[in-house]
Amino acid sequence: MSRQVSATQPGPDDTTATWAGLGRAALASPTMYSTVAAILLGVACTVWAEVPGPRGDGAAFVLFLAIVCLVGSALRLALAGVPMPEDMFLLPTGLQLWLNFLRYIRLPPWEEGAVITILWLEVFHSSRPWHTALLGAALIAYLMAVHLAESGARPAALRPQVPVLALGACLLALGAGIAMLPAVTPSAGSTLLRTVAALAVVAAAGLVLPYITTRRL
Amino acid sequence: MAEQVAKLEVRWRLSRHAYRLLTLGLAAAFIATIARRPEFAGVAAPALLLLAAGRGTRPAAVTVHTQASTGRAFEGELVALDARAEGTGDLLIRWTLHPGKGLDPAGSASADGARVRLLVRPEHWGRRQLGTLDLVLRDRWRLTEGHVSIALPRIDCYPHPAEQQTQVVLSKLPNRLGEHKARTWGDGTEFAGIRQYVPGDRQRSINWPASTRQGRLQVNMFTAERSQDVVLLADATSDVGEPGFSALDLALRGAAAAARAYLASRDRVGVITYQWGGATWLAPGLGKRQLYKIIDTMLASDAGWAQGSSFQRLPRAALPPGSLVIVFSPLLDQRFVETLRDMRERGFTLLVIDVLNAEPPTRQRIVDRLARRIWKMEQEAIRFSLRELGIPVVRWDGVGSLDLPLAPYTRRPLLQSGTRR
Repeated sequence: MSRQVSATQPGPDDTTATWAGLGRAALASPTMYSTVAAILLGVACTVWAEVPGPRGDGAAFVLFLAIVCLVGSALRLALAGVPMPEDMFLLPTGLQLWLNFLRYIRLPPWEEGAVITILWLEVFHSSRPWHTALLGAALIAYLMAVHLAESGARPAALRPQVPVLALGACLLALGAGIAMLPAVTPSAGSTLLRTVAALAVVAAAGLVLPYITTRRL
Repeated sequence: MAEQVAKLEVRWRLSRHAYRLLTLGLAAAFIATIARRPEFAGVAAPALLLLAAGRGTRPAAVTVHTQASTGRAFEGELVALDARAEGTGDLLIRWTLHPGKGLDPAGSASADGARVRLLVRPEHWGRRQLGTLDLVLRDRWRLTEGHVSIALPRIDCYPHPAEQQTQVVLSKLPNRLGEHKARTWGDGTEFAGIRQYVPGDRQRSINWPASTRQGRLQVNMFTAERSQDVVLLADATSDVGEPGFSALDLALRGAAAAARAYLASRDRVGVITYQWGGATWLAPGLGKRQLYKIIDTMLASDAGWAQGSSFQRLPRAALPPGSLVIVFSPLLDQRFVETLRDMRERGFTLLVIDVLNAEPPTRQRIVDRLARRIWKMEQEAIRFSLRELGIPVVRWDGVGSLDLPLAPYTRRPLLQSGTRR
């Protein structure tokens, strides 16, 4: 009655084979590697921003917030593949609780919260430009990994962004270098001037870049 | 199935990735300004540059072609859905299939590319929407996402027929050419005996060895080969039991199997779906197309309430006299049982296949146990009364072949009412 459709047919009901198949499928999935990479990068960023230990009041609370955001992000990414039924009527209470948990874990912007809290953690330390620059690079990598994990794309999908990221890395290094320049005067105005200069460079690059990308990239 | 073409508007919005980059850029710039730390301006740089670079053409509409491999499929059969998008330029495309109720994606429900093939497998019979197909367009910077949703066509999912190889044959068959051996002599191929030659007999039918032995010319006799009218009566009143193996599931699968088996032996097969006193019917017919017509008729009656004409006023075409009526029912509706008795009294030959596959739950309370016992006794009484009327009742569990419960009636012809033994 219908055209034959080729597809992998499920095998016999063998539990071991099923679990082995699931394991192979999970390892073969590009999302799995991206998810693990995102979780590890998030943890590394938090640890990097935290060491050598918190300074000032409220640092422990910010660290707690960062951990909560990272755990939420990790759960969201890990459980992204679990399908949700169209309706939850007449389902057992345990299953309804699980589905509600899945629904609510997907709502908050965990990664945005993690980025803000990690940057906030870094502020608690005194100025250490290269340390902060590395943290910035790790945060960008974290966001890229999160995007790959949730979109299911392969890392090659980010290839067009490499030139822009390279330019961004240069500006990152430039920002760190500006921060390392010795102050002309001990006043606060000197640091503000350097900050404005760094921001101006970034803004200028941001304004020029679209014209370059439309022509060359 | 015909290709479905639609030009659809694309809803564009910033991706979550863009929102995250924006958060990083703004937060770092804000901290740099407030804390007067230039290194945070550098942290903001990659994110802001990516956001600034991400400009591209975004089409307002795309043309989507979708085509299912078939409009009809049996339970468990794979259905392929081919989708193709036009007018997307160099955008990255991701398709995600959200199957409709009763359909299960076979393999991955998502695929990338301008042209994809996705597979679904119907789990349960019925007329079902294939679901919706979501198309996500992403620019090369992955900062904006365009969303398109396509409603997929409907498919008819047929119940998977049970296994049936043998047929119940009536003792008295109408004078119509077929494949069943009749009790009369005719021009068939089955040897029935020999008789003395009479002028007019064909010379090729002379049995020479017998003629030599008896000294007179003897000719071979053959049985006539006839066909019969079979009416499948499916009781859709009660649907009890485990989903997937309920009484209605078994009735439809059994009826589909019987239709296939009788149509294969050149019988004319029709169907009547009984539902709360109403009936949807299809007159007996021949051929392979009749099988699909029969299943379509059964699916059409799955509307949940009485449809069609009254069962008591069915035309002669729906229920031809002398036809074999095979009933698939859990025998839970008293009115249906009365209808069977009435049909028997009108001279129809009936065979009931009991598809009741569930019992009331077992509970500890003595009242519940008593009620359960009374219910079982009532069910036994119903079946006994039907047998007393000459209506055979056989039980089928829906798992095994239908040939097994029907074996006592397929070995020899089923006697019709008023026929001498």
